[in-house]
Amino acid sequence: MNADAPPTTRPDTDAPALRLQLVHAAYDRTPVLEGVTGSLLPGRSLALIGPNGAGKSTLIKAILGLVPLTGGSIEVLGHRPEVARSDVAYVPQADILDSTFPVSVLDVVLMGRYRAIGWLRRPRLADRQRARAALDAVGLADLAARRFGLLSGGQRQRVLLARAIAQQARLLLLDEPFNGVDATSTELILSILSRLRADGVAVVMSTHDLSIAHLACDDACLLNRRQVAFGSLDSALTPELLRETYGPSAVQLVAGSSIVTTD
Amino acid sequence: MFDIVLAPLRVAYMRRALAECVLLSMLGGMVGVHVVLRRLAFLTDAVQHAVLPGIAIAFVTGTSLLAGAALGALAAVVALVVLGWAHVDRDAAQAVIIATFVAVAVVIVSRRRGYQADLTALLFGRVLTVRRDELVQTAIVVVVSALVLAVTHKELVLLAFDRPSAIAFGYRVDVLDAVLYALVAASVVAAVRSVGTVLVVAFLVTPAATARVMIDRVGPMFVLAALLGTIASWIGLAVSYDASINHGMRLAAGATVVLLMTLVFVVVVATRSIVGRRRHVLVAAS
Repeated sequence: MNADAPPTTRPDTDAPALRLQLVHAAYDRTPVLEGVTGSLLPGRSLALIGPNGAGKSTLIKAILGLVPLTGGSIEVLGHRPEVARSDVAYVPQADILDSTFPVSVLDVVLMGRYRAIGWLRRPRLADRQRARAALDAVGLADLAARRFGLLSGGQRQRVLLARAIAQQARLLLLDEPFNGVDATSTELILSILSRLRADGVAVVMSTHDLSIAHLACDDACLLNRRQVAFGSLDSALTPELLRETYGPSAVQLVAGSSIVTTD
Repeated sequence: MFDIVLAPLRVAYMRRALAECVLLSMLGGMVGVHVVLRRLAFLTDAVQHAVLPGIAIAFVTGTSLLAGAALGALAAVVALVVLGWAHVDRDAAQAVIIATFVAVAVVIVSRRRGYQADLTALLFGRVLTVRRDELVQTAIVVVVSALVLAVTHKELVLLAFDRPSAIAFGYRVDVLDAVLYALVAASVVAAVRSVGTVLVVAFLVTPAATARVMIDRVGPMFVLAALLGTIASWIGLAVSYDASINHGMRLAAGATVVLLMTLVFVVVVATRSIVGRRRHVLVAAS
């Protein structure tokens, strides 16, 4: 089989969904990522943790093949990032989207099918059914016809998650998925993510909320331009490593767990 | 009243003017809605000024105004794309382009004498003297735009709504941007002869902006925008025709049409905000 062919069949579950080897990236010769190394197995979830400007979103872009690497390599589902893209879903923060934009909830979910549908053609019945099923999975089937911008922040985030489900991605990249999300939606998003992981979907999310990382993730990557730690939550989220990531004054121990006080 | 509306149909040049306005309304429906969705009115504005030097050169050299305008539009799009690559702020890029192109146009035109009538027509349009071959040119622009939008419509909407995801999906967003810029440029060039450089933006964008206020779905928005443009065109042409024939009052046709478009926009926005407020009051009272 041609190594560059898009992955259409399920790989054996032992192969990592994501493999990062000494990843270096730079903007205009200023290094923004240095020496990120680690891997993520299918069905597992990785938290990217670090202060603003630490390179979390650069790493997500690099996994999408949108940032040229100055060193190292990234393998996504056994392929180069550009080749694997159709099996990778990016979920932006819901609040960056224009809430006055004239699209319905179902329209947004259908966008996850656009690459599969192709140019010129309109979504077919099968695409609509898949989009409705995805909306059902995030508990928003009854709001399909509502304008996207009329939903709450948490509901919008769930719609974007439904879009990723409709895309049938095997690797999910989420940008701060719990920002501005109410408690009900947080619960729902957590359970949706764990269901996806049970189906073998790998998840990468940037966050600066350590409690969310504990609830939603198995592994963590601590970033402050260079990689501070990459491994299981317990091994990565230690007070020492967090201080190294955020600076000594930013991390406090409260009731035995670490709290990051500034970002 | 009925007679006023039907009167333009009895005169050949008014029929051509109406046909031209309907074609441009279709362009305004298709391209204008995308312009509004992408908040690209600034681009239309930049292109509208950018066609000036090309047209000025066409004057001086006696070549086709359309070719001159197309050249100017092309130059503007290229300038915008290049400035975009150089990470120049969009507002700044627009300001630079407009200032430069207007200055160039003034320099070129100031070297000529006796062009005032033509230049007036250019600034404010001459929809009443549209020729058959010019109608055909406009129709070609409409058809080509429709074909291009048929291929790229849903991707352009995705790009307007959620640019980061469009990039993540692997779309060449720079190519999609260029496609839309080219459509805007082509529309401006097509419309500039009839409504003039000053009114092009209003003609292409106002009906779309009105439709945007009235409905929440992109599909019907195209139809409604084209319809609003057509209605405003018809009534505008009829009113200006009636005023000049029966009342000896000169009303510039293109400008009258644009004023009607603006009137519809204002009425719709006002109605929306009054109705919306009443609805809020009712909700609050219940």
